[in-house]
Parts: sequence; structure tokens; C-alpha cells
Amino acid sequence: MIVEGTYTFPGPREVVFRLLLDPDVLAKTMPGATSIARVNEDRYEGKMGVGIGPITAAEFDVVITMTEKVVPESYQMQIDGRGRFGFTRGKASVRLTADGESTVMHYEADMMVGGKIAAVGQRLLDSVSRMMLKQGLEAMSAELDRRLGKEPA
Amino acid sequence: MKPPAFEYFRPASVLEALDLLAARPGAKPLAGGQSLIPAMNFRLAAPEALVDLNGIAALSGITRLPDGGLRLGAMTRHHAVETSPLVAAHAPLLAETMPFVAHPQIRNRGTVGGSLAHADPAAELPAVMLALEAVLVLTSRTGERRLPAAGFFTGLFATALAPGELLTAIELPARAAATGSAFIEQARRHGDYALVGVAATVTLAGSGECDAARVTLFSVGEGPVLAERVAVALEGLRPDAGVVEAAAHAVQGDIDPPSDIHAGAAYRRQLARVLTGRALERAFQRARAHQSNPEQ
Amino acid sequence: MKPGRYMGQSVPRLEDAKLLTGRALFVDDVQLPGMLHAAFLRSDDAHGILRSIDASAARERAGVVAVYTAQDLGDYWRPGPLLVPPPPITGLVFNAATQVPLARDKVRHGGEALAMVVAESRYIAEDALEDIVVELEPLAAVTDLEAALRPGASLVHEQFGTNLAAHVHQSKGDYAGARAAAALVVARRFRYDRGASAAIENRGIVAEWDARAEQLTVWDTTQAPIPIRNGLAAMLGLGESQVRVIAPFIGGGFGPKIMMFYPEEVLLPWAAMRLGRPLKWIEDRRENFYATTQERLQIHDAELAVAQDGRILGVKDTFLHDTGAYDPYGLTVPINSQCTLLGPYVVPNYDSEFTAVFTNTPIVTPVRGAGRQHGVFVMERLLDFAARELGIDRVEIRRRNLIPPDAFPYDHEILFQDFRPLVYDSGNYPAALHKAVEMIGYEAFIRSEQPRLRRAGRRAGIGVVSYIEGTGIGPYEGARVTVEPSGLVRVATGVGTQGQGHFTTFAQLVAEQLGVEVDRVRVVTGDTREFHWGTGTFASRGAVVAGNACHAAALKVRDKIIALAARLLEAEPGQVVVEGGSACVRGAPDRSFTLGELARRANPLRGAVTPGTEPGLEATAYFGPDRGNAASGVHAMIVEVDPDTAAVEIKRYVVVHDCGVVINPVVVEAQVQGGVAHGIGNAFYEQLIFDDNGQLMNASFMDYLLPTALDVPTVEMAHLETPSPLNPLGTKGVGEAGAIPTGALFAQAVEDALSGTGVEITEIPLSPNRLFELITQAKGAAA
Repeated sequence: MIVEGTYTFPGPREVVFRLLLDPDVLAKTMPGATSIARVNEDRYEGKMGVGIGPITAAEFDVVITMTEKVVPESYQMQIDGRGRFGFTRGKASVRLTADGESTVMHYEADMMVGGKIAAVGQRLLDSVSRMMLKQGLEAMSAELDRRLGKEPA
Repeated sequence: MKPPAFEYFRPASVLEALDLLAARPGAKPLAGGQSLIPAMNFRLAAPEALVDLNGIAALSGITRLPDGGLRLGAMTRHHAVETSPLVAAHAPLLAETMPFVAHPQIRNRGTVGGSLAHADPAAELPAVMLALEAVLVLTSRTGERRLPAAGFFTGLFATALAPGELLTAIELPARAAATGSAFIEQARRHGDYALVGVAATVTLAGSGECDAARVTLFSVGEGPVLAERVAVALEGLRPDAGVVEAAAHAVQGDIDPPSDIHAGAAYRRQLARVLTGRALERAFQRARAHQSNPEQ
Repeated sequence: MKPGRYMGQSVPRLEDAKLLTGRALFVDDVQLPGMLHAAFLRSDDAHGILRSIDASAARERAGVVAVYTAQDLGDYWRPGPLLVPPPPITGLVFNAATQVPLARDKVRHGGEALAMVVAESRYIAEDALEDIVVELEPLAAVTDLEAALRPGASLVHEQFGTNLAAHVHQSKGDYAGARAAAALVVARRFRYDRGASAAIENRGIVAEWDARAEQLTVWDTTQAPIPIRNGLAAMLGLGESQVRVIAPFIGGGFGPKIMMFYPEEVLLPWAAMRLGRPLKWIEDRRENFYATTQERLQIHDAELAVAQDGRILGVKDTFLHDTGAYDPYGLTVPINSQCTLLGPYVVPNYDSEFTAVFTNTPIVTPVRGAGRQHGVFVMERLLDFAARELGIDRVEIRRRNLIPPDAFPYDHEILFQDFRPLVYDSGNYPAALHKAVEMIGYEAFIRSEQPRLRRAGRRAGIGVVSYIEGTGIGPYEGARVTVEPSGLVRVATGVGTQGQGHFTTFAQLVAEQLGVEVDRVRVVTGDTREFHWGTGTFASRGAVVAGNACHAAALKVRDKIIALAARLLEAEPGQVVVEGGSACVRGAPDRSFTLGELARRANPLRGAVTPGTEPGLEATAYFGPDRGNAASGVHAMIVEVDPDTAAVEIKRYVVVHDCGVVINPVVVEAQVQGGVAHGIGNAFYEQLIFDDNGQLMNASFMDYLLPTALDVPTVEMAHLETPSPLNPLGTKGVGEAGAIPTGALFAQAVEDALSGTGVEITEIPLSPNRLFELITQAKGAAA
């Protein structure tokens, strides 16, 4: 499953870049995240509970590895999530370009979903991934607003 | 495909059900069970407890409201709606829709309230309730609140129901004069989740122009979609073939359909346009008939 | 065989009362005291290295009796048998890799079994599956047949150094020469995708070990109870007589239930013996999408060389066949494709080669049609395209190429799946085509109906396709017929039964010879205690092979009845008439004995026995055909297509069918109707969709669409009977026929409805979404 698009953050690129890699921010903004810890410079481990409608939130163990980090322009993410309902694995690349006072994020992810969620949930995969992405980006943007209010650029 | 263990309660009153739900945050109300039970059997849903609403007689039934509208108890079975003379007479759009809701076996057990609270983006009833401007009655231990359908559906399988709150009834406003409606869906097989479905109600002015149009679609987004651009393209105009076609085209601006293995977004867009056009044609025809014979 | 009192009559099915009132025993109906339940942990990943399985928490769970992984099986762990070795074709390459009971070092397809949990209930067993922790290192999965063969592709079986499972080349004549002489060569790429057999009853097994009697009893949804018994005895170190396998009533087989051995079949009897308690496993629907074998992805690059008048000069076909993660069933499916492509046509030059490919998907073995669909699809589509380009009518181009009725036996000069030459025994193809065209009203439709509808803005189309089904292959089956003292006749045969009507057709054959009412004949199938010689129900062979065995045994018993009656009645054997449940002297009906009385007299308690006589009125007989026979048929269909929504509606469906001598027309019609339903599913609804990682995206009946009664029209049917000279009854098989040509028919009819739009259909299944894409592409190309 390919997920790609752009999103504009109302803030400077350096701040956005820092935000995107901040484990506390990730814990707050990733939909369903219950904990995210940075175990070393480029590796994050955490737990997410994703529940939609009648689906009881199942816990996923998530590992995110960052590679090819170019501050404050781009990075790649290797995402690996595993839980009782199956797994999700994939690669995402993120590129930030400055656009005046704003930052445009270009993202492209190639995610694979396996196990029970793929086998019986295909009808909703597209909608769910769009929804989670939207929720995550909006939460991130809100967090950015909050930060910018606190620490003016 | 055996569910994990759960507790089971069968309250006899709404109040008792609300108490049970309040006491157990991990509990789920059980209506017809046509979505929840399969999810449990797949072990995708694992509620700690089920509060079975099937023993609450007061939640079922269809009655006429003083203003000419209808009130459906949330636990009214699909089959009861499908065969109700009241629904046929006063909510023809709902009557036309019911045979498309899954299969007879499911309609014998499934409930209107269950379907609405479940808020499946491919379900017929949320879109129909949105088209009919239904009001949903939500009951909690502290009282009752009434929400228009437009405010009830908040996203993918998401509703405005608060924890501890139950959908107890649905109220349909009285049908206006010179109003026609139509329901069309395309599914792979009869009874499947629709690839795209359209519900339309239109009202004609005395001079034959479109006075109001309310077109809703389902299976094209996170929930039922009110096609506002379609309405704008119709209102105040004489609904001739060209106007209807233009309105059907306008639906593209109202939707952002997902892809799945049965239908890509492009195909859903095509279906949305074609079915919107066909539904409008039929609805206007019926509105004209209603206009010339209000008893119809 | 000529029609008789029962032969050729539509006797209502004797088994239906039992089936319809819930009194028939299915495997899941077996309840035994102290019975345990098994559940299987299956891999989420399609391909990976298995690092470890930690089942300690599962073993601790209350109610769990045992958990087994590959490590726990010890010496009992071994790959399954190669069921069908490759045929003796020169230059053939075959890499055998058979399935394993539980994955040990590696996982090769999604849903492959990793561990078995045994518990007091299925609920607890499934709870315990969630306790097991698996450490698996994912590997890239191969699902694309062409990519799988490229250098550097991830390997399903490292030991071969390739994903090539087999390569086979068969040819006759000189295709290159034919091509050079052709007025037209049409070449296309065709794709026929995979589906599930989706029997209404999933697989299931109950195993019980009686330690005192030293007897193992296994209830199994298999189509082949006798080979299962023999194999289990060998694996478990038991005598064959210590194992009884019962295949009771079974809710549909369609091929996958003849696969052996499924891991569950190997593990349940073993565990039941170790644990000393009966053990049950019933496959659930989700498991069925992974754990039961499937068919039928193939990609064909094919070309047809024709003369100006449409005569076929030759066909060349190169195809890829998806065999899934293992290939225990050898080459049956692709060889069927290779042979069936030739169909009812004279093809003087043929060059066909295929490559079977391992992929990280569930195992491929025959499913109703078993590869024949592909051959028919390729040939019929090529003929359609050639007809269009040459300006010849679609029916006419077929007519010009049919093997003439006086050309039998007709030798296609290649080898069939039974290792015997592909020789058609009998047929009358022009008559069948003529009849079908007449029944559907082809001429009138093309000339007036279609243009009339088109003027009204409606797009209707017609299709007509022919096919051959090689059926009734050996090696043999047997039957024992016994007249009991009550006058009841008992028939026992080794084939299993999955709904085909065996209880009726076999009874008819015996009743016909013994002169008894058909409902006095009780048929037993699929119980190795009753009969333990035979192979099973597959390849549309029940009526041919087991049917002729029943017939032969009945004739032997008839001879015994006549001999005994003649002796007792002091008449010449030629004077004895066997009818109405009695044997009497011709012209003297009062000089008679009932069959029951004769049975008693044939088994005396006192007195001398004439030397050389056998007790009782009983006989066993076997039948093994020299080679398979060729059933055939023509299907025709009218559809209407809504080009705006890509919706397709079947308006009419006609089948003219020739399965040789018909024993029971109602049973044959039901088989054909069911086959057509299967075919419509294949053509329009059913598709197993694997993503690039080998993940099945529709493992439920919510997303895997079976046609329902609302989607399948009532087939209008006619029978044509060209008796097979290869067996005394003259029967041919019918089990798969209905499913074989439907894809080709569907494509032709839908394309005809869309004629003028440029839409060309070279793939099956054809969902509305795909049809929409094709219509859109054609519009784009036209613009």
C-alpha cells in the first residue's frame, strides 16, 4: 500500500524537523500511541493501540528506525509494528521544504499489512490509513502551534 | 473463529442497561449482533462484557408522531421496518432502501439502531437517515439529548455517542409536499456492501423548479456523505435532463472515495456520478407524481 | 447400456431425505466422550525464517492438554508423499517439494501451520494460540510468476537454486511450418487467476484410538479414505486393518479434499494415540483460505495460426503455472491445461510448453476443472479473435474446425494426465454445437434481437464455446454387492461421496440388474471397514470407474441368483427371470423364490455344500479403464452489460452436454448446474487476491465472493449421448464439466455486448471494477 502526499505546517523547517523526531511529540501525536521511547539516536520503540469502531484496540509493538537523516531536510523511516491482529511493515521517506514561514512536508510510504487485519479488514485499510495519517498530522500541527506560541522562532 | 470469554448481561429496561454500561467501561451494548458477533468470532473485538438490549421491549416499535413524522425504536428489526405500512406510507425512501440492507437472515435479526450506532461507511441506513434529516435520540443516566443525523456521524465507525450513552430512538420528520425520493446502490452481489450507494430526496416548488434537494452517498468516504454541491446545482432550477446531469457531475466535488479490492477510487467516482444521476431522475419523477397527487 | 427400468431414469435422490432433515452424519457431528479439540497456530507471514516458537505460556493455560511444534514431533515429522509423479515426457524437469506437517525452519506461505494446541474445548485452544510467541525473520515473498523466475529472486525452496518447479514441452507436427503458411496469426497474453474451492463444509477430522482393541478410527472429510487409511497405517506403524477411515457425508469436495496428507490428517491421529483421548479439529472458514489447497493462476502467451477460411493450422502456447509453495500433486493441473486446449478441434500442429513456478502462496492442487479451464479459455478466445479478424462468424469458425463424428477414436498425439495418450473415445461435436446454437437462438439474436436492443441503448451480447473434458481415468475402483436375507441389497464401494448422488446412481445400476426396487438397494461409500480397495473420488470418475464396478458386481450376483434359482427350481438357467425382487421360471411365476429366500438358502446352517460354490449371494468386482474418456459439451450464454456501471447480467445460459450414457438425468443436470455456478463464480466473482508480500487480502466470505442463487441462472440443458466404448455402461464423467468453459463463454459474451468499444477480454475473473478499467482504457485508446 502506497501512501503519499504533502502537508503544510505553519512553522519553520528546523522546528518542524525537530518536532517530527521528538519521541514525546510522537507519543502525543501518533494515533493510539501509548508510549514511544528513543532507545538510541535513530531507534524508537513504543506501543500503539489501534481500535476502530467495533474493533477492540489491540496493542502493537512498534519499532521505528530512522536512516539517511539530513537535518533539517529529509529522513527515511523503517517502520515495524507487530501485534495479535497481524503486522505492518514498511518504509517511509519524508522531505521538508521551506515555503516562506511555512514548511511543506512531502511524504511517501510503502506499507505492507499482514495477518488478520489484511485478511479480513481490506475493505477499510485505505480509509483507516488515511484517517490515521490525517489525525497524526493534525495533532502534529497543533503541537507545532503550541510550541511556537511558547518558544517564538 | 471462537470468541474469547466475555460476561453477558440481559437487562430488562433502558435504565438497567445504562447502569450496567456505566459500571463496566469495557462493556458493549449488543443489538442485533450482525457486525459485533462476527468481529468477536474473528477475535477482532474482545469486549469484556455484552449488555444485550434484546430483552428491552420498550426499545422496539414504529409509531406515528403528532407532527406526522415517525418514531423508530432503536431495537426495531430491519425486517419490521421493511414490512411496516407506516414506513411505506410516510418514509418511502426508507422503505425502498430496506431490501438492500444485507440479506433476509440479517434483516430478521439486525436492528436500525444497531446499524446507525455501528456507523459503517458502507451501510445504507446512515446515508438514508442523513437524507431524511432524521433526529437521533440518545439516552444516558442523566437524561436525553436529540441530535440531527448530520451531527451524529462523526467519522469512520465513529458517532457522537458518549460513553455510557445509548441510541434509543430515531425520529423521522413528516414528509413535505411535492417531495420524491429514490435509493440506488450497486453491489457485487445483492446484499453485499455497496460499492457506491445514493439516497436522494427532492422537493419541487409549485412552478416545477427544484426547491430543495438532499442527496447522500455511502461507501465513498469515512461515513455517509451529504452531497452539498449536488444540491447547489439543482436548487432553483428546473430539473431537466441537462440540469440533472450537471448535478450528477457535481458529486465529484463532494466525495473523496477510498479504493479497495472491489472498487478503485476511479470506479467509485464513476458509479457515484451515474447513480446520482439515476437516483435524481427517479426522485424528480416521484416528486412530480407526489405534487399532482399528494396522497401518493 | 440402453435405458431400462432404472438406467437412464430420473430417480429422485435416495440420500436427500436424510440430508434435508439433518440426519446425515458429517464429521463435525461426531461427538465422543472425553473428546479434546485442536486448533492450529498459522503464520501471518508468507515467507520467513523461523527462529523460535515459545509455547510455554500456552502450555500453562488452564484447559490446555498439549502443544506441539515441529520440534515436538521428533521422527514423526516428515514431508508428505508425492502423490502424482511426473509423466514420462522426454526432457521433463520436475522439482518435487511436498508439504510438511508443521513448519520447522522456514515458513513458505501465509497460513502455514506452526503449532497445534490441544485443549478441553476449541475456545480454550484458540485462547492458547494467542499465548504462543513466534520469532520469525521475514524474507521477501514471491508471488509474481515472472519475477519469481528472474535471477536473484527470493527462493521458496533453496535446495533447487530456482523457483522453477517444472518444465514440460509437448508438441506434434511442425508449428513453425504451419505459422509460415498461415493467412493470419493471432497472438495474445492470457491470464486466469486463482480461486478457492469453497466447499460449504470445510475440512474436519476426528481421531479415536481404542487402546484395548488396538484400533484407530478416523473420521475425515477426505475424498480418498482408502489411501488415507493405508498412508496413516504406514506412518503410525500400524497394520492397515488396525486403521478404519470413515469419510461420512461430506459437504462438497471439488478436488482439494483429495489432497493428502494435509498436516491435520497427519497430526490428529498421532496426537489422539499419544494422549489416549479422542481429538477433533474442524477447519474454520478463515483457515480454509490458507490451509486447504487452491487453484489456478496461469499466464499464457499463445498464438493461433489459421488459413484464410478459418481452418486451424496450428497453435503455440507457452505458459506459466503457479503451483504455490509445494507441489505434491505433481503436474496434473498444467498437463490438463496443455491437453484440454486442443478441445474438440483438429489442430494439426501444436507446440506447448509450460513452466510451473513455486510461489509463497497456499498449495495448488486440482479444483473442479483442474486446469482445463485455462486451455479452453486460451483456445476459445484465440478462435474469437481470429474469427473477428477474418470476418467469419464465431460459430462458423468453430464448426469448420470440429473433429468430424467419423474420426473416432481420435488421437491428439500427446500425453494426458493419466500418462496415457490423449485419444478421444467418442463424440459428436457438430451435433452438440448445432443443438446449442438452436436452443439459444443464435441466428435470431445476432440478426434481430441484438440490433433492436442496441437501438434502444442497451448492450446485449451472446457467446458460444465448445470444450472437451477428459474424464474417468484409472487406475480402478471396486464394489461389493450383497443380497441380504431380508431381501435388501447392500452395495459397498471405496470411493468417498461429497454430494454427487452416488447413493442413487450406484443403487440404480444394481437395481437394474437384480430386478429390485431401487430403494431396496443401500449404498455404503467411504468406509474402509466396508471396502478397502480403491483410490477415491476425483477427475470426474465416480460414475465411470466405480459405476462400472458396481455394474460388474451386480452382474456377478445376478449370475449367482440365476444359478441358485435354476438349481432350486429345477430349471435351465436360461429359463430364470430375475425381476420384482424374485427369481422365477419364465412363464411360470408361481415357480419362484424371493431374493431374500435365495440369500438364506445360499447360506445354509446344515447340510452338505456343493463343492465349488461360495456361500451367500455376494460378489466383488473391479473396473479399471484402459484410459480416460472424453466428455464434451457446448455452452451458450446471453448477457447484458451496462457500460456506465460495468454491471453484467446473465440473461440466459444453455448447455448441451455429452457424458456418454446417462445413468440419471436429474443427477447429471444437477452436476452441470452446480458446475456452471462454480464457473460463473470463477469468471465473475471469485478471486483470491494476494498482495506482493503474499498476504491474502480477502480471506472471508465478506470479500471473497461466491455467486449465490440470485446470481446463477437456471441452466437450460440438453443431453447428447455418444456412448463410451471404453466401459460396459458407456458412461463418461460429468463432475467438472459445467465449470470448464464458463470463463471463455463469459469473456466472449461480454465482449460481444461491448462490441464497437474496442474492449478485448483476455483475463479471468472479470470483476466490474476490472471491466470498468478495460472500458476506460478502450475509450482512452479510441480518443
